[in-house]
Amino acid sequence: MTRPTAKEIKAVAEVAGVPVSAEVATRIANSIGPAFEGFAAVAGTLPFDLEPATFLLVQVPQARK
Amino acid sequence: MSAEPALLSLRAVADAIAQKRFSSREVTQSCLERIAKWQPHLNAFMAIEAEAALAAADAADAALAKGKISGALHGVPLAHKDMYYDAGRVVTCGSKIRRDFVATTTSTALQRLKDAGTIRLGSLQMAEFAYGPTGHNSHYGAVHNPFALDHITGGSSSGSGAAVAARLTFAALGSDTGGSIRFPAHFCGVTGLKTTYGLVSRAGAMPLSQSLDTVGPLARSAEDCALLLGLMAGPDPEDPTARVGPVPDYATSARQSMKGLRIGVPHAFYVDDLDSEVAGVLDQTIQVFRREGADVVQVELPDQRQLAAACQLVLAVEAAAFHKRWLIERPQDYGPQVLMRLQNGLAMPAVSYLETMRWRGSALAAHNAAVAGVDAVVAPVAPVAAPTIAESDVGNSPDAEAVIQRLTRFTRAVNYLGLPALAIPAGSTRGGLPIGVQLIGRSFEESVLLRIGAAFQRATDFHDRVPAIA
Repeated sequence: MTRPTAKEIKAVAEVAGVPVSAEVATRIANSIGPAFEGFAAVAGTLPFDLEPATFLLVQVPQARK
Repeated sequence: MSAEPALLSLRAVADAIAQKRFSSREVTQSCLERIAKWQPHLNAFMAIEAEAALAAADAADAALAKGKISGALHGVPLAHKDMYYDAGRVVTCGSKIRRDFVATTTSTALQRLKDAGTIRLGSLQMAEFAYGPTGHNSHYGAVHNPFALDHITGGSSSGSGAAVAARLTFAALGSDTGGSIRFPAHFCGVTGLKTTYGLVSRAGAMPLSQSLDTVGPLARSAEDCALLLGLMAGPDPEDPTARVGPVPDYATSARQSMKGLRIGVPHAFYVDDLDSEVAGVLDQTIQVFRREGADVVQVELPDQRQLAAACQLVLAVEAAAFHKRWLIERPQDYGPQVLMRLQNGLAMPAVSYLETMRWRGSALAAHNAAVAGVDAVVAPVAPVAAPTIAESDVGNSPDAEAVIQRLTRFTRAVNYLGLPALAIPAGSTRGGLPIGVQLIGRSFEESVLLRIGAAFQRATDFHDRVPAIA
């Protein structure tokens, strides 16, 4: 997961239906960018079979029985 | 017994009312007198409902006189974070947008406390839409720390922390999505329980992030948190994420010693770059654990920075999705910092969001493996004691998010993993500001945390400190 640029954020926000100015897009990029970098080592490495509901299976092991 | 009923613990005041040593009116009047004295200094209450509270207290006393007791907290006055829906009442969520919002339902957690006999003192201040860790609120003003009025309370359950610390309410509901119960507990010297994701129903509680939101209490002791949790936990048809199964006897667990338990101390991350006084309190806490019979060992946790980053990304996206309509229609009605943080969620493509959610299960499994040999992990809540209101009022400045992330770096991993954590007062700075520590447990093992926390509080008196108006 690479840190998004202000230009990319402007485009994504517009698609989401909440357009932002170039200035706000730059601010968002600086603000959320470090979180993307923090997750970068995990991004793109997950095995095929994982899905979000796996969390519940791990959280409550007896639910699997 | 204290001559001022408001100074009693939750359990003690409930017993005193049930045994008619104090009437509910006397207790409620005592709280209202303290509220009248403290509110101008703290700004902890969003609304004070004195007349209605006294009328409810009289009704509770009349019922008791006829031998009718509604539950374990009969006639006990409480106030809660202003995000728990209470049918027919305004619930502002700390916002301008919901300044006049009248709830049509009552939250399950609140209803269960009502069913136990509690009465309502009013509602408590909070960060706008529970999206802020400091206690600032650009619409209703900052809440002030009762131990030093020019310092923050922490947020987002800012009013809950301040009101419990100043003995204005015996306990209060908070919510914890990224640390919002544990920060006010740490900064204000009270006990706060972030519950396992899915233990307490979120129905009727204002949402911020559906994958991370948890409901929990702030109270004067772990024993009082145990009492409240026992009343609130359990399945709820209104919240399909609420766990089905029996509710453990938390109160009994809180009466046990910590002898024989193993407590882990992380060898890195949580002990890095700590303020010296926070580090000192952590060391002293470990010594108390050993003295009380616990075995303290080092643990090596998975990379906490990745977990914290994942939490930030999930929170940003889910919050933005909840707020999308208002982001389009009423952006001008948000405070600058909350608007800025909501807009952060617009940056993330759906595939990336789902990737952070897909990782959650294996991340929890890795954590469980790392802590397999211990019953709980002890860590600081924040690297510092409460900063001043002025120095932490960063608004939407370019470095605001960085300041927020530094303050919240020790809490977010717990939310991403859905784990329980109990914040307890454990010391103070030379200037008298409280310092807490958090005990992080395994999923649904609140009993262990409450056991350690209550045993620690029987051996120390940090939780008994009552602030005074200078």
